[in-house]
Amino acid sequence: MITSMNRRRLLKSSVGGALALGVGTQVPRGLRAAASVLENRQDSILVVVQLSGGNDGLNTVIPYTDEAYYRARPQLAIQKSDALRVDAETGLHPELSGFSELLQDGLLSIVQGVGYENPNRSHFESMDIWHSCRRKSEPRADGWLGRFLELAEPVNATRSNQVAALHLGKNEQPLALRSQRVQIPSVQSVDQFRLTGHQGDALREWVSRLTAPSASPSSAAGLASSADDLLGFVQSSTSSALAASEQVDQALQDYQTGVDYPDSALGKQLLTIAQLIDSGIQARIYYVELDGFDTHAQQAATHANLLRQWSDAVTALVRDLERHGHGDRVCVLSFSEFGRRVAENASGGTDHGAAAPVVLAGGGVAAGVIGQPPNLEDLHDGDVKYQVDYRQVYATLVREWLGGDPVPVVGQDFETLPLFAAQA
Amino acid sequence: MRHELEDIDPAWAWAPFGPSDEQPWDLRLVTHLFRRAGLAAGLAQVDQALESDPQAIVAEMVERSRLAATTDQPGDELSRTILASGDSRRLSAAWLYRFLNAPEQLLEKMTLFWHGHFATGAEKVNDARMMWDQNTLLRKHAVGYFPELVHGIARDPAMLVYLDSVSNRKSHPNENFARELMELFCLGEGHYSERDVQELARCFTGWEIRSRRFRKNRYQQDRGTKSLLGQSGPFDGEDGIEIVLRQPAMPQFICQKLVKFLVCDEPPLSPRLLAPLVSEFREQGFQLAPLLQRILGSNLFFSRHSLARKIRSPIELVGGLLRALGGTTNVVEMATGLAGIGQGLFFPPNVKGWDGGRDWINSSTLLGRANLVQRTLSSPKTRFQGAGLAESLEQQGASSPDEVVQWLLERLLATPIDQDQRAILLSELTGGTGDREQRTRNTLHLLSTFPEFQLG
Repeated sequence: MITSMNRRRLLKSSVGGALALGVGTQVPRGLRAAASVLENRQDSILVVVQLSGGNDGLNTVIPYTDEAYYRARPQLAIQKSDALRVDAETGLHPELSGFSELLQDGLLSIVQGVGYENPNRSHFESMDIWHSCRRKSEPRADGWLGRFLELAEPVNATRSNQVAALHLGKNEQPLALRSQRVQIPSVQSVDQFRLTGHQGDALREWVSRLTAPSASPSSAAGLASSADDLLGFVQSSTSSALAASEQVDQALQDYQTGVDYPDSALGKQLLTIAQLIDSGIQARIYYVELDGFDTHAQQAATHANLLRQWSDAVTALVRDLERHGHGDRVCVLSFSEFGRRVAENASGGTDHGAAAPVVLAGGGVAAGVIGQPPNLEDLHDGDVKYQVDYRQVYATLVREWLGGDPVPVVGQDFETLPLFAAQA
Repeated sequence: MRHELEDIDPAWAWAPFGPSDEQPWDLRLVTHLFRRAGLAAGLAQVDQALESDPQAIVAEMVERSRLAATTDQPGDELSRTILASGDSRRLSAAWLYRFLNAPEQLLEKMTLFWHGHFATGAEKVNDARMMWDQNTLLRKHAVGYFPELVHGIARDPAMLVYLDSVSNRKSHPNENFARELMELFCLGEGHYSERDVQELARCFTGWEIRSRRFRKNRYQQDRGTKSLLGQSGPFDGEDGIEIVLRQPAMPQFICQKLVKFLVCDEPPLSPRLLAPLVSEFREQGFQLAPLLQRILGSNLFFSRHSLARKIRSPIELVGGLLRALGGTTNVVEMATGLAGIGQGLFFPPNVKGWDGGRDWINSSTLLGRANLVQRTLSSPKTRFQGAGLAESLEQQGASSPDEVVQWLLERLLATPIDQDQRAILLSELTGGTGDREQRTRNTLHLLSTFPEFQLG
């Protein structure tokens, strides 16, 4: 039952920007020993950038010393002289200059060869696998992030009425965010977090009255006591929502980025995310998509353009968050449903492939390249073989970044990868 | 905290309600009945209902819905035009138009219930005609004979496309529909085994959708013996459905879900309390009309365990507001708005449909609700009895600020607000910005942001 005291606490936590997820309540048994680490992880945030269509990993992270790469891609290969040098074997596509600088500043991590056994080359099927961590034969009622959020939410307690995660975009909500219990909003713009209208004083008076610490639930005489529960739930949700609205309003008015976001849809979305994070909204997960990576024909210019959009926008977000003091608590994960075939096709493009790099950015990551460049002499049906199971990346994110038990999230136990700098 | 529902006498709970001094047949109960059995009472309906008695009204609304199930309704013309365009998104608006204007509100409410129960998403089906045909099927049986509805849905192209069950071959029985038939449609988890799923899937072999139509492919039918839920025989699909429908868990499962939809969100009623209803459903041969009449006319339905014990769904919130005030608006914009706060008609979130209750509410949807009401009220296309809101209320006899606030509270709220809240509404109405019409609309919007407004 929500008492006025609970309401105050909820409200305080929303205003103070502390947490809606109670400390301790969701700590899995096996991880209690690491409680201090987890406590620091209560406010960590994951931003997922989904590169839809199958990003060409080989032309993103370039094996510029590999003759086989140049043999397979006479037209499309990025020349050694053009690649932005990462180390003695690896370079970046020239449009990824933002990422190159992040790498030098210790803010970017590249995981080579991420994929899975028996890769599926259907966009939908492979995307569903990445989202749900389940193969087609298994039921897919929820996604990995949805499961994480469900486990993170205190069971049975007053349902957390904070927004646990947010999907920004016009598309259907990604399966990754789906869960049985936690409702995750998909919004097209931040205006959906602002109360519109011109009531002026009356509305402000009402808001301040509802959000005042001394406010008590109106007594609804003649109703059963559990009706008060339902009403109490709505009252506390309303005060949280109004507080969130004020926060966002304030944040949007006051926010000075000082960073140039690219004038693209992704750039705008990531700026919104920076504003929301700075406003103290307590979502732990943000999800955005960049579509268009299905480059079967005339790939070079299209791919370069997409990579620039991606790198510029993510770089701006990371720099912006650093400036606002959130750099160490936000990690940006970029992935695609698959890479592309090693050999280019006859149309100046590439077809659906398999394993590809995953990129993480932010103040917490262990910068550098994890894993080896793809072995192009040892392919699986013309595709790069995977070195790292995508679930291993997720498991590491859940255990070491978000502070949860990865086993129920990804379905089995995986060894963690050295993705984060401050690992306990 | 244990709920007092546990102590209620089941026989009393489902006995016909008769008004008394403690629970008089007044505006509060009238609006409650019409809110639950539809979106809201129309302006004329309220006065008529006050003159009548609850049992007669419930009997009439059930009977009229039963008769209307197969006749044309408002919106059919519009839907035909939309179907010609093939745009699934606009289907939502067509049904909404019908919902807002249908004289038989219970029929639409029950069609919505079955849409959530047999959830099918237009995004995946991607065929407006198929979706509309399913809607017609749901409406036809919405207050009819439940087994017929199940048999119909088992052959429904949209459903089978949605559940990836368009082909069902002997060598590779498709378990998806068989599983959902037991888990989501008839029995609930725990009342069948994995083996039953496999055996039931065998019963459905040969059932397929070709050229958007259902057909049986006898070459793919597994004619062998199946062991299903304790029975065995060379069952086909119809046999399989009948066996599932005859399970004792079925009437319990359906009654529980109906009570949650019509009576109260929480807590779930105990089997003991549901027992008389379950017996009634069985004795009536699984006819829905007498079951609905029993629920909507019951003591429990008109008790404090039901009043304001539900969180309004988005369509109940905005649609209810419009109907209660005799309002009309642009349904295409409204349908899009409803989808934005979690209830796109023809676009349920997943195979389980809408969970409802507390799941409707979070920071984003609450603000979205208030903003949708604001958008609706500020649209020039929103009219009340063809006029402005202030003028329309005046026609209803609400002229002074006190009368206007009182009228809005009585018609729109299921639970009272306190004096402070009322004072805020009054000060907006008398001292806010804009002309009288603007202030009246602003007051209504302010009211819609109150927590009490979320309860129905």
